[in-house]
Amino acid sequence: MNHDERERNRDTQPPQALDVDLEKVWTNVAGEVWAQPVGRVERLAGRLLGSLGLARALVTTPSLVTSWMVASVIVLVAGVVATHSTGEPWSALLLPALAGIGVAYSYGPGIDPAYELSQAMAVSDRMVLLVRVFAVFVFNALLGLIATLFAPGIAGLTFSWLLPMAMVSALGLAAATMSRSANTGVGVALAVWGLIVLGSAYGTHDLATAVQNGGMLPLYALGTIMCAGLTLYATSGSRGNRGWQWQ
Amino acid sequence: MAVAEKNVRIDGLVQSFGRHTVLDEIQLDIGTGVFGLLGPNGAGKTTLLRTLATIIGPKRGTIRLLGKDPALGHDRREIRRRLGYLPQQLGYYPNFTVFEFIEYFALLKEMPSADVRTAVVRAIEGVDLGDRARSKLRTLSGGMLRRVGIAQAIVNNPSLLLLDEPTAGLDPEQRVNFRALLREIGMQSTVIVSTHLIEDVAAACSEIALLDAGRLVFHGTPDELTLLGDGGIGDSPLERGYTRALAGARA
Repeated sequence: MNHDERERNRDTQPPQALDVDLEKVWTNVAGEVWAQPVGRVERLAGRLLGSLGLARALVTTPSLVTSWMVASVIVLVAGVVATHSTGEPWSALLLPALAGIGVAYSYGPGIDPAYELSQAMAVSDRMVLLVRVFAVFVFNALLGLIATLFAPGIAGLTFSWLLPMAMVSALGLAAATMSRSANTGVGVALAVWGLIVLGSAYGTHDLATAVQNGGMLPLYALGTIMCAGLTLYATSGSRGNRGWQWQ
Repeated sequence: MAVAEKNVRIDGLVQSFGRHTVLDEIQLDIGTGVFGLLGPNGAGKTTLLRTLATIIGPKRGTIRLLGKDPALGHDRREIRRRLGYLPQQLGYYPNFTVFEFIEYFALLKEMPSADVRTAVVRAIEGVDLGDRARSKLRTLSGGMLRRVGIAQAIVNNPSLLLLDEPTAGLDPEQRVNFRALLREIGMQSTVIVSTHLIEDVAAACSEIALLDAGRLVFHGTPDELTLLGDGGIGDSPLERGYTRALAGARA
């Protein structure tokens, strides 16, 4: 069939039905149009964690939203300024409190809007908790490292604030998971940290004792381990009819 | 010939919070179809659904879901992949779009990533929200949010679908459409619906259970409940059966 014949046939023959699944085409097009582009952080987290669900759970962490992070930076800047003007290591004293609050507010009933639903998901909410807590801790540790650059007075205290921060974070997490209330977690973490700071300053009249006294480091380490154990217990299957939670 | 195990087997289930018994020796086998869970406020319907959604473990008794034991971690994960759940109060992220929200739960249900987009589109169209797929959740009405909740529950084409008062906030036309959707899903899956709306039960359910104060006081078909209706109070035969069964249980 030459070109002219083909042209004639096209004009005289009815059009052939296309072998295309239009519903499938529509579904694919709608999926492309409706889907939101995935952010860089979420993409990277998805690759690192090997789970896109966990990655999205991470970027929805309440204590890692922009406004929270900005507030943390502002508090820490105030701490750096106070460190410079008073000579006391306020940044080092504020960091554990900031981290404790952030960790307690990372996940849980009343904190995560979709908490009830998340508990019935294949990706375990214990993993969601773990990933979020780790991310909040790393964020606060980075803030601490940056603060040491601007408040050279506390540079030598790097390991001193890191361990108290781990202890207060673990305490906030343990209290929040045991009581199933982020506010309780925050209250306990702040109260205990406040008591430690004031108690250690009792004899020395120096607020910095809590982060400068090397003798307290083993206590912080022990406290961190104990609180981590309590969190594991609180999120395990050994608590009556809440047994399936956090698995 | 071996009889296939039903999708939901509940044997002597007891749930209590403190000294308050919420579910008392519940015994139920539920197969494919739409199953209605009826009862007054505080009867234990939500606790039963939360137990079946593997959110809380039983205080006593056993349950088997989709042929698996949810007390075992591996089985529980398998069940959750094939589970759809709509809680009474749907929490949501106000800045997520409809698509993002449903996609999030498809991912948490560990659906193969290649299938997620298609499944989300189908779920959105299933609840007739195509024109709002890119809208932020904070801009939606209560009825639309309810439909978003239903969409996230059905996105993984679940073998076991648990819906706690799904039609609350839906207008009459949406309720009619929703019942049709339920019947369609119930052809291949087990759908358990907790509701106060007797007309939903009459229109969609092939089997019902009536709970009162944590006890199972009736289990049968809507027709069987209707037959109990003599002397009951209510506008429809099924309502009369409902009130009569409750009164009989409390007598």
